[in-house]
Amino acid sequence: MPRYRMLYNKVGPARYISHLDLLRTFERAVRRAGLPLAFTRGFNPHPKIAFAAPLGVSIAGEAEYADLELDVLLPEDEVAWALSGKLPQGIGLIDIKTVPEQTPSLMAVVDRATYRAEAELAGRISVEELNVAVNAFLELPEIPVERKNKSGKIKKHDIRPGIFSMSGRLNNGTIIIEAELKTGSSGNVRLEEALAAFKKNSRLPVRGEFVLYRTGLYTGRNKKKKMLW
Amino acid sequence: MELLHQILPRVQKPARYTGGEWNAVNKDWDRAELKVAFGFPDVYEVGMSWLGLQIIYGIVNRRAGVLMERVFAPWPDMEEKMRENGLTLFTLESLRPVRDFDVCAFTLQYELSFSNVLNMLDLSGIPLRSEQRNEEHPLVIAGGPCAFNPEPLADFIDFFVIGEGEEAINDFLDVFLEAKRRKLSRRDFLLETAQIQGFYVPSLYHVLYRADGAVQKVFPLKEGIPEKVTKRCVRDLDRVFFPVRPVVPSTGVVHDRIMVEIMRGCTRGCRFCQAGIIYRPVREKKPDTVLKLADELVQNTGYDEISLASLSTSDYSRLQEVARSLLDKHSGCGVGVSLPSLRADNFSLELAKEVQRVRRSSLTFAPEVGTQRLRNVINKGVTGDDLLKTAGAAFRKGWQAIKLYFMIGLPTETEEDLDGIVMLAKNVLALGREAGVPRGRLRVTVSVSSFVPKAHTAFQWEPQTTQDELKKRQAYLAERLRQRGLVYNYHDPGMSFMEAVFARGDRRLGAVLLKAFELGCKFDGWSEHFHWESWREAFRLTGVDPASYAYRRFNHDDPLPWEHIDTGVSGKFLEDEHRRALAGITTGDCRTGTCPGCGLCSTLEIRPVYAGG
Repeated sequence: MPRYRMLYNKVGPARYISHLDLLRTFERAVRRAGLPLAFTRGFNPHPKIAFAAPLGVSIAGEAEYADLELDVLLPEDEVAWALSGKLPQGIGLIDIKTVPEQTPSLMAVVDRATYRAEAELAGRISVEELNVAVNAFLELPEIPVERKNKSGKIKKHDIRPGIFSMSGRLNNGTIIIEAELKTGSSGNVRLEEALAAFKKNSRLPVRGEFVLYRTGLYTGRNKKKKMLW
Repeated sequence: MELLHQILPRVQKPARYTGGEWNAVNKDWDRAELKVAFGFPDVYEVGMSWLGLQIIYGIVNRRAGVLMERVFAPWPDMEEKMRENGLTLFTLESLRPVRDFDVCAFTLQYELSFSNVLNMLDLSGIPLRSEQRNEEHPLVIAGGPCAFNPEPLADFIDFFVIGEGEEAINDFLDVFLEAKRRKLSRRDFLLETAQIQGFYVPSLYHVLYRADGAVQKVFPLKEGIPEKVTKRCVRDLDRVFFPVRPVVPSTGVVHDRIMVEIMRGCTRGCRFCQAGIIYRPVREKKPDTVLKLADELVQNTGYDEISLASLSTSDYSRLQEVARSLLDKHSGCGVGVSLPSLRADNFSLELAKEVQRVRRSSLTFAPEVGTQRLRNVINKGVTGDDLLKTAGAAFRKGWQAIKLYFMIGLPTETEEDLDGIVMLAKNVLALGREAGVPRGRLRVTVSVSSFVPKAHTAFQWEPQTTQDELKKRQAYLAERLRQRGLVYNYHDPGMSFMEAVFARGDRRLGAVLLKAFELGCKFDGWSEHFHWESWREAFRLTGVDPASYAYRRFNHDDPLPWEHIDTGVSGKFLEDEHRRALAGITTGDCRTGTCPGCGLCSTLEIRPVYAGG
């Protein structure tokens, strides 16, 4: 069955749509677009829409990916045209292309994501001081965070191996942190955890909370960082 | 609204507060002469499941020069953050403060949402009592089923709309726009509004009380204001506006599907049921209308399910034909049909089996009571045999779970009636076993609510059974319904008590409501937020005895606090129905051609409408 890879963003009010609700949101948009969505067989059929990696509620996604299967092969342009006008506010289709049927699923290949976090500065800080703080953080041999497991027990995890890079800059009273973190089924690092650990370690003068963006999703298989596109 | 984005990541289900859903309407604020905020006094998921909101939203927003935006009661975690950060209540479309609107309109679907109305006004920075507000504040109005006894909210609401809103809301918009152009004072505007059918301005009415505390009389303070406010009622349901571009929530809500109203009103005449009175007469839509609406709705929403909504879907004359046509047309794209509020009969069962694409594992029936005697008292036209036959057939057709709705505390109820509930539940369970439903899967859920006497019904004169007695009866059932495969649910009697107090309350409850709000009461319909102790304190501090409302037995010649609200059904008919109930005499279905004589058709000059076939 023809498979289409979508590149989209999820910003504005849509960043508060949960992962579970997002599937339904796309399903309804596809139906409104009049496209022949493919369903799984079986007792309770599910639409064949598969996302690369769940995005936490309230994180804006600037370059997200999902695969969509249709029952009928249609030109990419036609699918894009039909779908783009039918998405709710804040979800924007950026591009769409067909992918060969044997292409591995997005979820199987994605293993890293880039993020940006922005917050208001509450005091003075120089670029040099910020760089020192970031480097000191990255030089930590391990960064333990506490996570609850499924049975509610608190366990310690070292997230340092999952932090591939991090940098900071300043812009008009705003502090901007960019990071590349491990994502996917093993060794996943949540941006919130990394930021909390960084804040604790560096004691930067930040007012309020960081506003979070996921800026890209990549695969690092075969030692080479590559876009999922 | 940067502040909002600081708060939202910290609350549960932030999508409740952000808007941006498909089909949400964002009109130009500066080009609207009249702006209405529609307030639903419960959480987003409940409010967005209510068809009436979509209807009213559609009617207002399709008019040029006016706009309507939505606002729901923030869940307590959000409220806490809003108050902490000084964020006032805002609408979902433009994120503007509710107090910037000209009108704030509430719907009253449930008595236990009244405290949320006050809390929402307070969160908006709008003075609660009508007399504290002036031209600078939004007009605060309300409608919905609970407006049929508006008195407990009389201190807070500038006017109530009694009855169906489709036409009334346009009348209101006309009058308001005209008043704005003529620069009428609020008082003069209200005087004009009070003369339109269905509009009740409580400040223009005075209440006299008797020495024993009961209401003596409610009467207009000025000439030209009607003594009785008669409900609004749509004549032609095929022609009246129905929303084909409803807002499609981006987050899961309670009823997350297309709702096509196929019929309004119900002919069965269950004596406890208020909806059965206030939505009279029955009006069925033509099959063509339903099919056309459904077509557009499927295209415009993308939902995968069409629900044929009404008070009693099995009664719709052309149900089978409509359900089949919908299925033929839409099942190819994976769109199913669902039939809510089915009657326990074979026809309904066959149809449910035929049309429901995604087979629900459970079927729901409402035998209401356990014995035929009591079923005659309440005029519920289903027999225990019907139910057992249908349940047996359902299990044989593959359903594994059945839900049964009952009510306890009804007038004349005895232990025998409770035993009847137990027996019925066990018999249904036994049928499941006989039909070979696997033991682990077989489930009969018995949901038991407590009778609440409602204004304008044949049981409006009856007292509610006391909380202590209800608790005893609940315990009696609990003891006897302990068996593998049986699940027993019941309602908090304290909540049912409060519902009864407000359902038959008068204006003096305004002070109690205000006190309860000050003590932090909100979301009273949610058991985790219902605080009986706070309510008790509110009654104590205001010197009002709640039992005198819930447990009062009115005589037929006693004045009733809601008598100035006219449903079109005659008082004489309700009295007769009440007498017949106590004598165990049933009354026929209006649909069968023998007119039960409720008097509505002549009073409102209207007729029931059937789709024929």
